[in-house]
Amino acid sequence: MNIFFASLLIFLVVCAIAASFTKSLLNSILIFMTYSLVMSIVWVLLESPDLAITEAAVGAGVTTVLFFVTLKKINSIEKNNDDEYMNDEGKEEENDVEENS
Amino acid sequence: MSRRIPESEYKKTVSYKLKSWYDGTKDYFVGELEMKPQKEKTISDEAFKKSEKDAHEIRVRALDVTHNKGVARFSRTYKVFSIVFCVFLVGMLLYGVAALPPFGNADNPVNNEVAQRYIEQGLQETGAVNIVTGMILDYRAFDTLGESHVLFIATCAVLILLRKDNKKKANISDRIYEPKNDAILQVVAKVLVPPIFIFGIYVILCGHLGPGGGFSGGAIIGAGLILYINAFGFAKTERFFTSKTYKIMSIAALGTYALCKSYSFYTGANHIESIIPKGTPGNIISSGLILILNICVGIVVAGTMYTFYVMFRKGDY
Amino acid sequence: MSILDWLRFVIGAAFICAGVFIFIVEMIGVFKFRYVLNRMHAAAMGDTLGIGLALAGLIIMSGLNFTSLKLFVVIIFLWFSSPVSSHLITRLEVTTDEEPDRHYEHYSIEEVEALENRNSEEKEEK
Repeated sequence: MNIFFASLLIFLVVCAIAASFTKSLLNSILIFMTYSLVMSIVWVLLESPDLAITEAAVGAGVTTVLFFVTLKKINSIEKNNDDEYMNDEGKEEENDVEENS
Repeated sequence: MSRRIPESEYKKTVSYKLKSWYDGTKDYFVGELEMKPQKEKTISDEAFKKSEKDAHEIRVRALDVTHNKGVARFSRTYKVFSIVFCVFLVGMLLYGVAALPPFGNADNPVNNEVAQRYIEQGLQETGAVNIVTGMILDYRAFDTLGESHVLFIATCAVLILLRKDNKKKANISDRIYEPKNDAILQVVAKVLVPPIFIFGIYVILCGHLGPGGGFSGGAIIGAGLILYINAFGFAKTERFFTSKTYKIMSIAALGTYALCKSYSFYTGANHIESIIPKGTPGNIISSGLILILNICVGIVVAGTMYTFYVMFRKGDY
Repeated sequence: MSILDWLRFVIGAAFICAGVFIFIVEMIGVFKFRYVLNRMHAAAMGDTLGIGLALAGLIIMSGLNFTSLKLFVVIIFLWFSSPVSSHLITRLEVTTDEEPDRHYEHYSIEEVEALENRNSEEKEEK
């Protein structure tokens, strides 16, 4: 249990607490992604390479992409109540992603 | 309260900054980053009237205690009942947990001779150099069958919830400012996607020789498919991956897995001896059924990842 | 032989230290710049130069074997994929910008050629 390993674990705890306490959804998704990345390094240090590959591919890759697409979908549900006005309000969608979350 | 210096000067002092940091109202981005002008949210008239009508309905039907007898009775008994139920549940759980042996004790039923046998005779009985793969796909293959079915059920749930029936709505895409037909992205995707697929297939096929296996290889192939659909658009991907493709893929893979490993229901707990010979450990074609099961699991996982992304993004295949 | 090993270790460590220094500079830049395009430039610099130097240091430290070839392929893969992501984010920013004149100057092709002709004429005069 050397210093490097202990500092990685402390970083994990800080990441987990920070992901719950931020007010913005976008920030919490990014913190979750770094949590997954550091967890993958911890698996390598514990000598289980199967879990490290799977955690890196799934956690820091596909899960984060799915979270971002979900965020885009729920931010656009507010504006898409009437579909005919989609093209007029479409320009405001991209700038308002940061505000709504 | 009145201060000796005006408000705008007070905001520059150290005490205001300290207090706002402590209270949690400090804005980290003011003055540091460039802010774009924020638009006000406006509600249309129809939406306002609708929300007022909903609030009125809620007030009349659900929250009116004096005129609604059911609501009055419920609100009286709820507080007492909830506290009693929580205390009862917590007490039962603690009583059940108190009977467990302490963690890490050498006499626990977990530390028996099974782990030793897996390590000592794993290579000989399964033929896989990677003992972990030999364990999850040979000794405990039934659990992995359950896991693959869980992936399939998750995909079914996402398909039920998010698939769009209305063909007209599926065409209105939310890709107004997406980099459509971006030349740089297309060239780089043309260069990068084949190595990603080859690497995913390599990880699946060498699951019993080194780290990897079906789950990670399938995730890598799914990620490659997501990159392809982002670079080239929906029309080009529909040329080779339609809903029929996904149906054939998942049914074939899950059916093969179930056929390979569920005949023990009829023949007894230990299976018949496998007709596929084990071969020499270290070759790719060795260790009996593990290679086939790896491929099946990889196909299911790749289809799952891609289906999730397409369902969220477009609503249809 | 120990002199050669020691020399290889020192050169590799120097490369890794340079890579880490570039990452520190990039971190400070990402937090302190005011406009989006400047932050984007800082982040992209870390992804290409910093990673290249750090992994080159590791290649030198590990010598000539199969591991070095794998690290080299990793560098090539990263140099393919991370500039593309920077390009996409920058393109999104440029297309959805509402005050472009405050952030950068933009010329058309004729103005660029006129500038170049003027510069080459001044050099010929000198």
